[in-house]
Amino acid sequence: MNRLLAFVLVIAGAALGAGAYHAQINALNRPHAAAQVAVGWAYLVAGLVAWDRRPANRMGRLMVLTGLALLARQLRYGDNAFLFTVCFILGDVGYALVGHSALAYPSGRVKDRAERALVIAGYMTVLAFPLLAALFYGGTSPLLYFGRLSRNSLINVTDDGHAVELLQKTEEVVFFGILASLFILLVVRRFWLATPRMRRILAPLALAAVAFGLRAITECVFTFVDRPFAADYLFWWQFVAVFALPIALVAGLLRARLARAGVGELVVELEHAQPRELRGALARTLGDPALEVVFWLPERETYADAGGNPVDLADDGARAVTYLDHEGEPLAAIVHDPSLLEEPKLVRAAGAAARLALENAQLQAETSAQLAEVKESRVRIVAAADRERKRIERDLHDGAQQRLAALALQLRIAQRRLDSQHADPAVEALLESAVLELQAANEELRELVRGVYPAILCEEGLAAALESLALRNPFPIELDVLEGRLPPRVEATAYFVTSEGLANVTKHAQASKASVCIARLNGLLAVEISDDGVGGAERLENSGLSGLADRVEALGGTLQVESPAGHGTRLVAEIPCES
Amino acid sequence: MKKLSGLSRTQPARAFRVHLVVKVLRLCDILWMAVTVVIVDDHPSFRSSARTLLELEGFEIVGEAEDGASALEVAAALEPELVLLDVALPDTNGFEVAARLAGGPSKVILTSSREQRDLGRRVRSSGALGFVSKDRLTGQALTALLEKVP
Repeated sequence: MNRLLAFVLVIAGAALGAGAYHAQINALNRPHAAAQVAVGWAYLVAGLVAWDRRPANRMGRLMVLTGLALLARQLRYGDNAFLFTVCFILGDVGYALVGHSALAYPSGRVKDRAERALVIAGYMTVLAFPLLAALFYGGTSPLLYFGRLSRNSLINVTDDGHAVELLQKTEEVVFFGILASLFILLVVRRFWLATPRMRRILAPLALAAVAFGLRAITECVFTFVDRPFAADYLFWWQFVAVFALPIALVAGLLRARLARAGVGELVVELEHAQPRELRGALARTLGDPALEVVFWLPERETYADAGGNPVDLADDGARAVTYLDHEGEPLAAIVHDPSLLEEPKLVRAAGAAARLALENAQLQAETSAQLAEVKESRVRIVAAADRERKRIERDLHDGAQQRLAALALQLRIAQRRLDSQHADPAVEALLESAVLELQAANEELRELVRGVYPAILCEEGLAAALESLALRNPFPIELDVLEGRLPPRVEATAYFVTSEGLANVTKHAQASKASVCIARLNGLLAVEISDDGVGGAERLENSGLSGLADRVEALGGTLQVESPAGHGTRLVAEIPCES
Repeated sequence: MKKLSGLSRTQPARAFRVHLVVKVLRLCDILWMAVTVVIVDDHPSFRSSARTLLELEGFEIVGEAEDGASALEVAAALEPELVLLDVALPDTNGFEVAARLAGGPSKVILTSSREQRDLGRRVRSSGALGFVSKDRLTGQALTALLEKVP
């Protein structure tokens, strides 16, 4: 902002303020006169600050104009007929400017069609009615707000007190009544439709604007109704509301500057921060609690959240996205409140300040994505192994087992045919032993197939499969297994853990009995195999269970062994199992 | 006209003779204690081996079926004393067929290349009389199961 212009405006404001104060003390008491000047100066100073700090924004100029108009308005109370005439006709423009600047926040332009219509209607009202009143005011009848003061209108045509009263009261109704009500509605509507971050910025302004509007409506009411309490009280209400408006406006406009000072703190804060603290720090600095940070994954050519999950950055209008690059490569994107688009420099500054932390977080997101990929592939490997086991089981059943059964039948037929022909006993014995051999071979094959993948597990489920397993166990087993079907890979894992666990008990524990308990617990399938044996089992990593531990962990579960010497062994697997 | 009346006289007579032959055969069956059997399996080689073995052991194989639907038809038409029923069938499984046959005139013995304990609870819950695995199938095994029933 031009220093000379600022100097001229300050001098003009000071002169207008002094003149206004002097003019008013005829009509108003001194504190009221001083307060009116203070309001004008508040707008002027706030406007100059805003103009200086954000020269491109029209809000500053609009507020300076408002301040000057509010000061000039009060000159109408002076003795000078020319000043009275001019300032009486143009004076209320100051109040229209107050409404205009509130609706023009934060860009300085009134963009909404309804708001623009209201502003235009406001200007027309405050220009037309005083102009007409000045034509009819001849100095004999009292003017509204002038008490008993009599003034001289230079453009008086005819002295008609009724017409003046009618015009002034109509202006009160239209401007302070109807237009102020609409003003409140539009302010509330704008607040209602605002995004969460914008609401926080708008809140002080909306409060002051509504107070200002309500004050105007009471003024309209008291034009027709006797004031039930001291007018002094109403005056100070008006003073606070009108005084608060420029402060709220300039505070909102300078938020970005304050926030940019916060960027410095961000640098310090992020120096020792963990990547997961990054989002919170940026959200605080940019004043948007819902802010999200997503990271570019170069390998996948997509943005992902901190956990590595791909994110779709569809621009839906509800949230805005600022993309951050580093040396020409995409680094991250900040998903934020659209109101921050008004302050792109702030977002970029915060992004630049957080660059190192962002790079760390990007690496972490990338690692998380890779880890997720590895986890998924582990699950797929388990599933593929299960499929392969099932296929082997089915092939053996359909092929070798069927052939062995057919062979057994044929040997039996040969035996029977020999019976009827009084055969050689040596041949008969040979045939009998061949049948027994065959049955033994078949039994061994069945045992192998059970170890590969028991058919009963996929046909009837875990409980039936474990019952079948318990039947073959050399010592008694107490089974408490939940009924019903589970996802195949969970069933298979629980089955293999149990069968391997029981095999270990048989081999090492010298147990007289064992129990198996399988139950669903908080989204987990808990498998517990305990025995009354000697305990002191080796650590999991060294036992035959380590392969099973890998399998359980692939499904996101855990496998643990508790085996205090002399107190039996307890094997517990917990497998995630969505219900 | 004469010819027609002659025909109408001879047809019931022929039907009666067929009926008589069936009755006599049934009587012989009962006297010889030959158990009538229907074999249900989708492998023709198993059906023929089982037929040969069981016939050698004094059973009378009255019919065969290759799937669940035809097994039900054949059993309803022939009313055998025993249905030897494979668990793995192309259109359904032996447990379902056994459940449909339960309560009828025929007893059901299930068979499979697996063992009973590999098949779980369904063997018992299907209503079948018993189970014999294919590599242990003999007439004696079937008779033992049939005689077990009160």
